[in-house]
Amino acid sequence: MELFTAIGLNHFLTISAILFGLGLFAVMTRKNAIVILMGVELILNAANINFLAFSKYNGGMEGVMFSLFVIVLAAAEAAIALAIVINIFKTFKTVDVSSVDSMKE
Amino acid sequence: MMHSLIQLSIVVLLLPLLSFVVLIFFNRRLPRMGDFVGVGMLGTAFALSFYIFWTVIVQAYDPAFRVAWDFTWIDFGTVPGVGPLQIKMGIVIDNLTAIMLAMVTLISFLVHLYSTGYMAGDKNYGRFFAYLGIFTFSMLGIVLSDNLFSIYIFWELVGLSSYLLIGFYFEKDSAADAQKKAFLTNRVGDIGMWLGILILYSQFHTFSYSEIFNNIAAGNFKMSTGWLTAAGVLLFMGCVGKSAQFPLHAWLPDAMEGPTPVSALIHAATMVAAGVYFVGRIFVLMTVDALHVVAFIGAFTAFMSATIAITQHDIKRVLAYSTVSQLGYMVLGLGVGAYSAALFHLLTHAFFKACLFLGSGAIIHAMHHEQDMRWMGGLRKNMPWTFATFSVATLALAGLPLTSGFMSKDAILAGAMGFAVTEGGGIFYLVPLLGFASAMMTAFYMGRQVWLVFFGESRTHLKPEEEHHHDHAHDAHHGHDDSHGSHDAHHGVHEVGWVMRLPLVILAALSTFIVFSPDPLDGARGWFMHLVPTPETVVKSPEKVPSHEGTLHRTTGGVLLAEAATDTEGALPASAHGENGGAHAAASGEGHGQSFSDPRQAELAHAAHAAHYPAIYLSSLMLAIGIGMALVVYAFRFINPEKTAHAIRPLYLYSFNKWYWDEIYDATVIRGSMLLSRILAWIDANLVDGIVNGVATLTRKFAFANGSFDKYVVDGLVNFTAFFVQKSGAVMRKIQTGKVQTYLLMVLVAIAGYFAYYLAQLLK
Repeated sequence: MELFTAIGLNHFLTISAILFGLGLFAVMTRKNAIVILMGVELILNAANINFLAFSKYNGGMEGVMFSLFVIVLAAAEAAIALAIVINIFKTFKTVDVSSVDSMKE
Repeated sequence: MMHSLIQLSIVVLLLPLLSFVVLIFFNRRLPRMGDFVGVGMLGTAFALSFYIFWTVIVQAYDPAFRVAWDFTWIDFGTVPGVGPLQIKMGIVIDNLTAIMLAMVTLISFLVHLYSTGYMAGDKNYGRFFAYLGIFTFSMLGIVLSDNLFSIYIFWELVGLSSYLLIGFYFEKDSAADAQKKAFLTNRVGDIGMWLGILILYSQFHTFSYSEIFNNIAAGNFKMSTGWLTAAGVLLFMGCVGKSAQFPLHAWLPDAMEGPTPVSALIHAATMVAAGVYFVGRIFVLMTVDALHVVAFIGAFTAFMSATIAITQHDIKRVLAYSTVSQLGYMVLGLGVGAYSAALFHLLTHAFFKACLFLGSGAIIHAMHHEQDMRWMGGLRKNMPWTFATFSVATLALAGLPLTSGFMSKDAILAGAMGFAVTEGGGIFYLVPLLGFASAMMTAFYMGRQVWLVFFGESRTHLKPEEEHHHDHAHDAHHGHDDSHGSHDAHHGVHEVGWVMRLPLVILAALSTFIVFSPDPLDGARGWFMHLVPTPETVVKSPEKVPSHEGTLHRTTGGVLLAEAATDTEGALPASAHGENGGAHAAASGEGHGQSFSDPRQAELAHAAHAAHYPAIYLSSLMLAIGIGMALVVYAFRFINPEKTAHAIRPLYLYSFNKWYWDEIYDATVIRGSMLLSRILAWIDANLVDGIVNGVATLTRKFAFANGSFDKYVVDGLVNFTAFFVQKSGAVMRKIQTGKVQTYLLMVLVAIAGYFAYYLAQLLK
């Protein structure tokens, strides 16, 4: 338990920030749409950790409820995003987002 | 209930109009170009008119006969500033109307008949009869009108038909010029007439003769007497134009460019007499001053045209000036108060002058359109009928006793003498003096004409060659005559056909005394002077200061004793007695004394009556001198006319060139008008147009400035905005890569920037 008491809110927040940073990095640097989606999942989960951490240290249940919503939303988002990716693939024969730029100019 | 005579007169009025309408539209489709329509309609009209004449003149034989009828033509309701305004049309038939009606339709009918011979073969034969129809309609309208408004309408209509007929050969320049001259000259007179009508209308708000006269008699004329005189003189201007009185006489001789039957009908017998008829209608409202103007203009016109007629070569021009001169007589007669005499002369003159013109037409026709008397001569053998009728009419015009002209001319001259005596001499003696001088010259120039045309030997061969082609111009209108030069003219002179002879004979017969009076020396005994008495004036004579000692004595008790002790010829036994402010002309036992309540009229009538015999002697003397001189010069050739003309060359040229009136008018009125029009044109071209153009230029300049502002400032702003937006858009576009990750990076940078800023704020 020592270990747990030694672990405070900041640790959770740091983990969350690292996860968010990884997710953001994945979203911004990957060209594969699937990998970008995975990055988004990381970002959402970083947010979930934040919610749960704040909920734990704040005493209320709002953070827990919110993170449940986020998981549900993440599932829905994954379904829609994958459908979009399939359509993109059908149209452009690729899932490379840098080549999906026909709306430019 | 309309009187049956009125109904008949409407039919008479409309028949010639019907003839016009039928002929103007259908003359090419009818056989003989429809001349039978014109002749038939006019024959019917004459028959009906003669019935009216018979009923009114022969059966009723009442100086006061009068039937009238009118209807409201236009009702304007109540006009602001004027009051109730109605324009009525109506017909009045009195003795004068009945006589004029019969006269106009008879002469028109005869002229129609004559024209079937004279105009035969003309390419516009049918149209000629149509024009005669519209003329006759208009003339009858003048005769029948009972008010100033409708007479003015018909007045303009006769002007129009005169214009059309003068220019019947409009392809000739001279005819086209003559018709314009006639129309424009008449317009001058008509303006005056209209102003006169308006003066009267402004006072009484009615156009009807009888209402106007009644109003004046009742003293409802509120303006000064000067205005009434002005109204009279202005109305007289209509007559001056239409009846070719000086100073508007110049159009009538030129009007001879029309076909000769037209000259006979319009420019001798009827239309030109309409002016005299009109002054006769309004005679009663003429003030003494207005009548003086009338008398002097008439006398001067009579004299002037007689002097011109002496030297003219053209057979029709002599007659034209003679017509002007005779119209001058009638106007003179009205001016001196000899109303009956003037209208009597109108009637007699219509017959013998129509006869003369138709006779001259027959001569021109037979001579193949030779009009110059110098190249005629000896025609009495070739044309006995024409010669006989022409001579009768000539004698009537010259005033030989036993002719109608003698009676009427004598009555006018007697009136003129009486007038001079009554007015107290002095300058007023000029009126009878000019009258008698004209009478003498009339006899002379008619004697000259008859002698040159009918006596002696034919002078056709004397005609200079260079005038032949000129002669062809006259022929041009008769297509079938073109082959006849004047080379063979004298071979082919023969009497004209019966349609042209019959009118001559009828008109010559109507120029004798027996038609008008049983007494060849005294027209006053005839039916005309009885039935058309001088009407009572409705204008009060100004109080007259006796200028002639012993002529007038005025007593304070309102008793007027007028004693016309006249001494003109030492043969005027006369005295007029009046009582209670009214004068009673001493009725002479012969029954032609007429009672007047107006002292001046009574005096005039009396003096005229007294001057009857002296006038006869004097005018007979003048006739003898005139004819005698004509015989001396042209028949016996005691005096060579050419040498005489050469000896008095300035006088001869003065007369030959018509007193240079044309030149004077050309130099003054016409040049003046042209100058005025040029000045106005200059003002228009430079001032008015200048202002307009200036405004236009200004507008243009302003528009250009405005345009530049729009182009450079407004458009500049717009373009600059667009340019700015475009440039900035080009810069901003670079950011829009279409890659979500770029956008995300930017969001990240922005957020990072924000946090950096926030942190910087915190750390401060």
